[in-house]
Amino acid sequence: MNIEVTIFILRLIAGLSLAGFLLALFVVIWRNAGGAIQLPAAAGFEQGHLTCEQPALADEAQRYSLRPILTMGRAEANTIVIRDDYASAKHARIVLEQGRWWLEDRGSRNGTQLNGETIASRAILADGDEIGIGKYRYRLHLNREYTAL
Amino acid sequence: MTLTRTDVENPLPLARALVGSRGRGNVWLMLALAGVFMAVGLASISLSRPSDADLWAGFAVWIVCALGAALVLKWRLQSHDPLLLALSMFLSGWGLVAIERLAPAFADRQALWLLVSVLAMLAIALFPQVLRWLRGYRYSLLAAALLLLSATIVLGRNPSGFEHAPRLWLGIGAFYFQPSEIMKVILVAFMASYLAEQSAAFRAHADQAPGAAGLSLRLIGPIILMWLLSMVILVWQRDLGTAMLFFIVFLLLLYLSCGDPRLVFSGALLVLAAGAVAYQLFDVVQLRVDIWLDPWPEADGRAYQIVQSLMAFGAGGIAGAGPGLGSPGYIPVVHSDFIFAAIAEEWGLLGVIAILCSFGVLAWRGLAIALAQRGSAFHRLLAAGLTLTLLVQALMIMAGVLKLLPLTGVTLPFISYGGSSLFVCHIMVGLLLRLSAGAR
Repeated sequence: MNIEVTIFILRLIAGLSLAGFLLALFVVIWRNAGGAIQLPAAAGFEQGHLTCEQPALADEAQRYSLRPILTMGRAEANTIVIRDDYASAKHARIVLEQGRWWLEDRGSRNGTQLNGETIASRAILADGDEIGIGKYRYRLHLNREYTAL
Repeated sequence: MTLTRTDVENPLPLARALVGSRGRGNVWLMLALAGVFMAVGLASISLSRPSDADLWAGFAVWIVCALGAALVLKWRLQSHDPLLLALSMFLSGWGLVAIERLAPAFADRQALWLLVSVLAMLAIALFPQVLRWLRGYRYSLLAAALLLLSATIVLGRNPSGFEHAPRLWLGIGAFYFQPSEIMKVILVAFMASYLAEQSAAFRAHADQAPGAAGLSLRLIGPIILMWLLSMVILVWQRDLGTAMLFFIVFLLLLYLSCGDPRLVFSGALLVLAAGAVAYQLFDVVQLRVDIWLDPWPEADGRAYQIVQSLMAFGAGGIAGAGPGLGSPGYIPVVHSDFIFAAIAEEWGLLGVIAILCSFGVLAWRGLAIALAQRGSAFHRLLAAGLTLTLLVQALMIMAGVLKLLPLTGVTLPFISYGGSSLFVCHIMVGLLLRLSAGAR
């Protein structure tokens, strides 16, 4: 075989093995970064949860732990997937900012209700609040030490 | 480690092959890829040097070390962090190939040192007593290390045999050792254990006056004294790169334990001040700074090495010239401090990025291990200190070779030629492995 071809093949293999090594590194980083977000819930620091009160469906998980960012909507990528024609794909989300939980409407077509009233853009949440999207109603339960903040 | 997720959430078989069964890295895949990478490099070198049959001895030693270490750790230290071993073997394997390319006469010696280093790493990773000894005998260890270090003033030699070269080595027959390397581990362990004992006092100060954390001389006096002593010896011996490394790591550890941001700023000012003083006192510092500011007037004289290094980076381009096909031999003593320039020439920007990523991930894992040490401040500071030592050293020499910083003569961890350096880097990895598996 021509020596230049041999060297080219060798360099190709070298490049591929190097790329494979780096890929293996980055996948581990990627997964660890994902795991870090879930750490508070996993470590038993659950700060509160949502329950679905209406409509009561037996076949769906009706208790959702609060995460630093919790999204709601019709799209499958949301933390809480709402199968309702009145829900937008990206409808609303609950975020933790400066020690408080906020409900944010993400420009939904039919609006997000907090205790029966449509919110303008965002509102601070408190223990026992009711969040309404379409015909669904969710009740917020914050843990005691957290409501004190 | 607490950061892992179960594999149930990850349905892709490719991803599972990449991250391994525990989700923390597949050491077998990574070692195999590193082995293929080394083999291809050596094959390419042998094409340009057909007469050399001795090329593969180092590779065989590397395979034995990598597989042996991976198996032993799998059996005896189940919950260790697999990335540490994969990265350290990848980097030291690459170093072996580069040394085989640049200085074939030294390659067998380096392979032998690799074997010794990996054995030491395993011994430290498997015996938890080592951590207790580092803490319990810290004054004795530090005194012994200082004694060895000061012995180089009288008995020091330089393996190259040049008359004016710094005499930093102690030699017994054909065996040379550099005490300042082992000093890195011992000094970090000393500072970590001392600061850990003072952490209650630091915290009490911080509670009384928030923002003004307690940095009283009573708290940190002894540590500064010990550190000054080693600095005096290092400066006396003109091992200024190592002195600078100790200075930076010392400040970072102090900052980690008391959390006062003023330390960082005053530390940076101190580094500049020390540099200005050293510029006046030492010819070698003056030279390094002068050729850092403008190497071109003396490109064929005192700045020859750094200019050739820059040219090697330029010649390498993106994909590099290929192992054995460049001409890094123009850089004087390229196999030790300047090995990064040779890698840049023969493996190109891609190789440089791979090395940067590897050190970056190594630092990330090390600091993650430090964060996971919940029980013991000593273990946390030790993991952070060892990681920072490796990281700062790598950054210092890589930036120096690229003329981003004045050149400081420290080795590139794992890669440069040098038994003491390789040995100490593996000892650090051994300690990190031990800490990653839980120190009890």
